[in-house]
Amino acid sequence: MNFLEARRVLDAFRGGEALSFALGLSGTGEPFEVYLRAAAAKRGRAAEVRFLPFNTLAQALRQPPDPAVVEVFLLLPWDFVPEADWRSGVAPTVDERQLRSQGMETAGLLTRRPAARLLYLPAPMPPLCREPAGGAALARWIESLAIGLGARLLPAEAFTLGSYFSSGCPIGGAWIGRVAEAVVEAVVERPGEPKKVLITDLDNVVWNGLLVDDGLDGIAFEPTGRGYRHFVYQSLLRRLRGEGTLLAAVSRNDHDVVAAPFRSGRMVLREEDFVAIIGSYHAKSAQIRELARQLNLGLDACVFVDDNPVELAEVSLQLPEVRCLAFPAHDDELPGFLDSLATLFAHHDITAEDRERTEMYRRRLAGMVPSDFEGADLTRFLEDLKMTLTIHDRSRGDWTRAVQLINKTNQFNLNGRRVTEAEVGAMLDAGGRLFGAALADRTGDQGEILACLVAPDGTMQSFVMSCRVFQRRVEYAFLAWLAAQPSPPTALQWASTSRNAPFQRFLAEIAGPLDGNGLVRLDAAAVAARHASDLALFAVSDPALSR
Amino acid sequence: MTEDAEAKLQAIFRAALELPPHANVTRAGQREVASWDSLAHAMLMLAIESEFGVAIDAADQIRLTSYPAIRDYLEERVARGAVP
Repeated sequence: MNFLEARRVLDAFRGGEALSFALGLSGTGEPFEVYLRAAAAKRGRAAEVRFLPFNTLAQALRQPPDPAVVEVFLLLPWDFVPEADWRSGVAPTVDERQLRSQGMETAGLLTRRPAARLLYLPAPMPPLCREPAGGAALARWIESLAIGLGARLLPAEAFTLGSYFSSGCPIGGAWIGRVAEAVVEAVVERPGEPKKVLITDLDNVVWNGLLVDDGLDGIAFEPTGRGYRHFVYQSLLRRLRGEGTLLAAVSRNDHDVVAAPFRSGRMVLREEDFVAIIGSYHAKSAQIRELARQLNLGLDACVFVDDNPVELAEVSLQLPEVRCLAFPAHDDELPGFLDSLATLFAHHDITAEDRERTEMYRRRLAGMVPSDFEGADLTRFLEDLKMTLTIHDRSRGDWTRAVQLINKTNQFNLNGRRVTEAEVGAMLDAGGRLFGAALADRTGDQGEILACLVAPDGTMQSFVMSCRVFQRRVEYAFLAWLAAQPSPPTALQWASTSRNAPFQRFLAEIAGPLDGNGLVRLDAAAVAARHASDLALFAVSDPALSR
Repeated sequence: MTEDAEAKLQAIFRAALELPPHANVTRAGQREVASWDSLAHAMLMLAIESEFGVAIDAADQIRLTSYPAIRDYLEERVARGAVP
């Protein structure tokens, strides 16, 4: 909604029920007013907005909330870490531990205002830390903190420095209308109504560890050591389920793999405690949307818990109605997190129907045809991640990480074959090639996540990618890049394993239907052409190759 | 600047500065227009950014204090291809 449209909407508005709220942000809020009033008018409501005076958000958070006032806070990174405020310049030195302590303090203040509506704008920050990776990690940590508080995530591009410098308004003209609409949406959503569905990630949330890599015996969920946090989380979920909350799990794995721990009888939670345990390689937003559709419940009844900020951001952007909570990374964040969950699912009176609700919905889902979860448009989300793929030629020098990846990756693995450094060395000496690829995005550095070993005859012997970066189109982009290089691979040494179904799906997509194990021909030109759009999602750099 | 763009700029001025519908704004300056205070200026800049799809640097925002200056600025941005 642009300025003139906002004025037209207001000129045509004949009045409606009042929509009163207070908007707090670190900056000047007044330029928002016309857009907020117009956004409310479009909903038939007459906005009555009170703005916090400039730069008083920190003070306001330290005052007790007025229960009669609906509060909306549009949060920026410097509300958590004041040193990150552009208007203060770049701090000469910072103590990262102290920065995080300040962030936790602000988060603590916000948790005391459970009725407040929060929006978070992940604006870029000045270079606070000596290492760029430290700054990126700090930004990601703040974003996780905000999402963990239940904040709606706004696009980073909504922030403009010019406007912030000159008038103190952190939102530029291109986005101010859309941000105003998000604010009004946050105000009009029904507060306090208990959520109905708790959708949880599994690895490093329900249990500690990665099930596929660590195995059932390698994950921890018992009241001891690294399993403690997850044991407590499971016990709260069990209580909520008994009170009528529907539990569901989403995971980027095969269903049978992720159901195994629940069937082991060793965990607090059992398979029958869940209305659905979804193992799928589709975007989690697509899985959640489909689940809500099948349960015939609104997305605003859903809460999603994950430990991965990228997954949380993906769901938050694609499904803004879903409340997203970050599973705590540290024990001392657990009480606040569990308190938030318990508040969201608070039930005052528990009925027999509440206790039977899970079974009722399980029966409902059992009668439905499984869906392929199609339809999630990931492109916009992926573009917004601003991903950089750095491709290294590991044929010379240090290939430790590439070999490590080949030997520990199970799901996205061409053939499950493990290699020794001696075997790799011999193949490279004979003219083979070894590639590694590292991924970074606006949320931080994902590290080296892909390895590919090509034999001297052009046969790809190993191709693996970390499951952390599924759904980013990295594998397609890398293959498109490789296919466009001189002497691209001509075939892949494919073998099915009990765990590499994700690679099988990928291979069938790039090379057509598979006919058992063995060599699969690769039409490099066709792959390069077909997946050029995937490659375009990344800024690709290949420093080692260009030398 | 095209006629449409000029008409749009004038409409923004009238709306942001709360001027009458037919007020001639083509020579308006911050010193002469009483309603052109700092808040109105911030709104005017955001409105121009919003309608013309540009991001205006802080230093430019501070010096753009009259209709002719803003018109020239936008024309220069168009010439540089910075206005879609």
